[in-house]
Amino acid sequence: MTALVTTSGLRGGYGPRSDAISEIDIHVDAGQIVAVLGPNGGGKTSLFRALLGELPRRSGAVEIEGRVAYVPQTERARLDFPVSALDVAAMGTYADAPWYRRLPLASRRRAHESLELVGLEGEAGTLFGELSGGQRQRVLIARALAREARVLLLDEPLGGLDRASASRVGRVLADLKETGRAILVATHDINDAQEADRVLCINRRQIAYGPPSVLDAETLERTYGGEMITLPGGGKAVVVQHHHH
Amino acid sequence: MPWPIDPFSLPFMQRAALEIILLAPLAGVIGAQIVLRRLAFYTHAVGTATFPGLVIAGPAGIPPALAALAVGGTYAAGLERLGRVRGLGRDVATALLLVAALAVGIVLASDVFDSGSGVDRLLFGSLLAIGDDELLATLVASLAVLAAAAFFRRTWIATGFDPQVAPALGLSSRMADRLLVAAIAVAVIAAVDAVGALLVSAILVMPAATARLFTRSVVALELTAIGLALAEGVGGLLLAFELDVPPGAAIAVLGGAAFAVAATATALAGRAGERAA
Repeated sequence: MTALVTTSGLRGGYGPRSDAISEIDIHVDAGQIVAVLGPNGGGKTSLFRALLGELPRRSGAVEIEGRVAYVPQTERARLDFPVSALDVAAMGTYADAPWYRRLPLASRRRAHESLELVGLEGEAGTLFGELSGGQRQRVLIARALAREARVLLLDEPLGGLDRASASRVGRVLADLKETGRAILVATHDINDAQEADRVLCINRRQIAYGPPSVLDAETLERTYGGEMITLPGGGKAVVVQHHHH
Repeated sequence: MPWPIDPFSLPFMQRAALEIILLAPLAGVIGAQIVLRRLAFYTHAVGTATFPGLVIAGPAGIPPALAALAVGGTYAAGLERLGRVRGLGRDVATALLLVAALAVGIVLASDVFDSGSGVDRLLFGSLLAIGDDELLATLVASLAVLAAAAFFRRTWIATGFDPQVAPALGLSSRMADRLLVAAIAVAVIAAVDAVGALLVSAILVMPAATARLFTRSVVALELTAIGLALAEGVGGLLLAFELDVPPGAAIAVLGGAAFAVAATATALAGRAGERAA
């Protein structure tokens, strides 16, 4: 197996005093999906920023094979912008295209192929803001694919989606895993995390990293502190989130 | 020659029309970015900020475009600095500096240089008195801004759509954003001669805002805004010629009317579509 992402002792942050993340030691192979689990403000997005090279690194090392692409939550994008699904997918090719001429045929083909990979070729001409939440999420994944990224970082891709849309996005991720990409998915959902190949639990520092079996009650409590409750009967852990506005 | 061609046989009308033709591409390409990136207030503020520079230019013997560029550039830099003050916000900083620039301009015009009726010309433009120097300045400014747009247009669109992700797409969004703000300042200064410090939005915002109501792609928005800027500019010139009113104001009135018609039509079309569905 080829390691696409390796970090050792990764520590970084924006402010002068506190670290946003520390002690991050992970190793992600091609064809693996890693669920990044943690509370709001626990460092999931900061970890992604560190992998993108945007978070000031204080110590440790990061090694990444190939390009990395970030897929944000859909509500971060402007829904009123007059861009089609194809336009958005093509944005993944902008950095490679010469500025002085029309987007090359190869770039447009790459954008079309990316939309096809996420099952949205038929919606290429539809305005991004007129797509459903799940379709928008898939278009943003297509943009990352058009960037020819081998490592995908997805920020809560299933958040706010209905069950059918979430399942469709889940199938797209499973297909992408088969193409040999490494996929890191930030999530709050412990059930989703149990479906991944590996799970990273963080709360400003790494709590645990390993197969889904690391998700025992003790690890979850250390990850979420007092925010975790356990439903009677099924024994499923549910996280009570504090939303910061 | 029949109306409406006849008035354009006069040299000053030809120069005014040429000025509109030179400004129209800016109205399309930069106007689209202003509307999409919600920079209309900034655009208006930079226009107003050039006022003290224009007041000083005449008596000091400085080319007006250079004075406007110096003051507009200082304003943009001051805004960048003040906008970073904690708890202030960019719109508050814009408003503060706008009022300060306008007040300094008025004091200079009334008490220092005694500009008299020239103030009207500075604030509302003098399209019918455009000279060859002003045309040349507009041509140079337009070429510079369009060159910047050619280089950064895709980055501007990707950054406007999703500001946080643009760097992860390999795009230098911070530099592109700074260049967009600078390009708007240069476009404003190019338009000041035609429509004055207070009415630059008539050229750079109104056509694109109107086009935004019914276009579904950035290219369509840009092309429609160019067409509207030409139509409103030439129509405003004719209005000004026939009714003996200031051309800048006539263009702004036409732009406002076009926006009102487009807004009403799209609202009615939207309601009809809802009923049919």
